[in-house]
Amino acid sequence: MAHAIEHEYTTTGLNHRKMLMWVFLGSDCLFFGSLIATYMVYRGQSLVGPYPVDIINVPVTTISTFVLLLSSFAMVQALAATHADNRRAIVGWLLATAFLGAIFIGFQIVEFNTFKNEGLTLGGNLFGATFFTLTGFHGAHVTLGIIWLVALAILGKKGRLGPNTALDVELCGLYWHFVDIVWIVIFTLLYLIGGFDAGPAPLGG
Amino acid sequence: MAHQTEHTTNHPSTKQYVTIAIILFAITIVEFLLIWDRVGIADDLGASKIPLLVALSAVKFAIVILFYMHLKFDNPFFLRVFVAGLTLAFLVGIAVISLFVGFEGKPRTFAQNTAVPYEEHAEKDSGEAVTGETGAKETDTPIMTGPVTLVVGVAGETLGFDTQSITAASGAEVTISVTNPSANNSHNLVIVKAGTKDAVAADGTAAGPTNDWVTPGDSRVIAHTKLLTPGVDGEVTFTAPAPGTYQFVCTFPGHNFTMFGDFVVN
Ligand SMILES: [Cu+2]
Repeated sequence: MAHAIEHEYTTTGLNHRKMLMWVFLGSDCLFFGSLIATYMVYRGQSLVGPYPVDIINVPVTTISTFVLLLSSFAMVQALAATHADNRRAIVGWLLATAFLGAIFIGFQIVEFNTFKNEGLTLGGNLFGATFFTLTGFHGAHVTLGIIWLVALAILGKKGRLGPNTALDVELCGLYWHFVDIVWIVIFTLLYLIGGFDAGPAPLGG
Repeated sequence: MAHQTEHTTNHPSTKQYVTIAIILFAITIVEFLLIWDRVGIADDLGASKIPLLVALSAVKFAIVILFYMHLKFDNPFFLRVFVAGLTLAFLVGIAVISLFVGFEGKPRTFAQNTAVPYEEHAEKDSGEAVTGETGAKETDTPIMTGPVTLVVGVAGETLGFDTQSITAASGAEVTISVTNPSANNSHNLVIVKAGTKDAVAADGTAAGPTNDWVTPGDSRVIAHTKLLTPGVDGEVTFTAPAPGTYQFVCTFPGHNFTMFGDFVVN
């Protein structure tokens, strides 16, 4: 099973799977870039509340941001453990990463629920539409990453992960860190900067 | 030659990873302190904190891709691929945002105000028309002189009416019956003077739902229905004003951009 992927011949001299992952991440930038641009366009355009200032909870989201940053640290440890061929550490760090990701999703579920109860819906106003679309797709990325991490942990438990198959862990790590940097951008734009937006400016006349 | 790229031995050490994690945490704490008003910096900085926050998150972004994602140590081609995607994303963002901001945030109003009639289209239509009446639009509603009831329906769940134009004779007693089959949306129907629908709706937004989203005593308003909640129908009766073209519009906030039509008085 663990064939020598690192020695396959490619015209660029670069590993195909890794190249594919970077091309995917580059294109995923466009995906999130479009959603972020849409949020920015409709920022402050909602005619009815709730507005960000009414419901955005920056302290709580700062905590969940720490959790996601910590998960990226656990991820690099998982890769280091894979290179070191330490099976227990591989499984442990992978599960720790998945667990921290799950906590982040937990925060998001509570947040979405609170927002819903306070009247923010996907169809209620422009803020709700753009906010839920953007953060929802990010949450979906995190969820996919958790599934990937757990699957890798199962492989690790079976002893299938080690220096020869480190790329399997590295690719998952690239994806995971990418999700982390997308959150860095979302956190800054939607929470730190946009979190205090109120309704539309009163119309003159 | 296919062998040299993997086995990057110069991955950061655990100690370096810990340092990086601490830096990322520290930056996040600084960001939080910048905006949290109880700290007191937020107000002093005013709008200047926005570029600061953007710069700080850009630093975090760079640290993660360079170290956690190893782009600093990996083959530069990967970095180029990623930066290409990132650059395109930025360009898409700038294009979208400038498209909207460039029209003062109101592309539709801008388009309506600056629209030039498409002459060729009108000529083609007149060429095909049997009679010499150029540009005469068909309406579903025949012109009547006595008391008349016109039916205007909301087009399902969309923010639009099912009729583009209704017609009545000046001086006739007109009853406009509005059906709202939507399960989710509230609407109203307001008859206004030509070209004032957006202004009336904007002021109506300030008047709030208790006034049916219409400013009381607004001189541009000829008549209006109550706010019709989902599934509720209503009507309004009034005397058709002087001949001319008026508009009907829903002034529920935001609906006026798509939910309107002409009210022609002969
Ligand atoms: Cu409406």
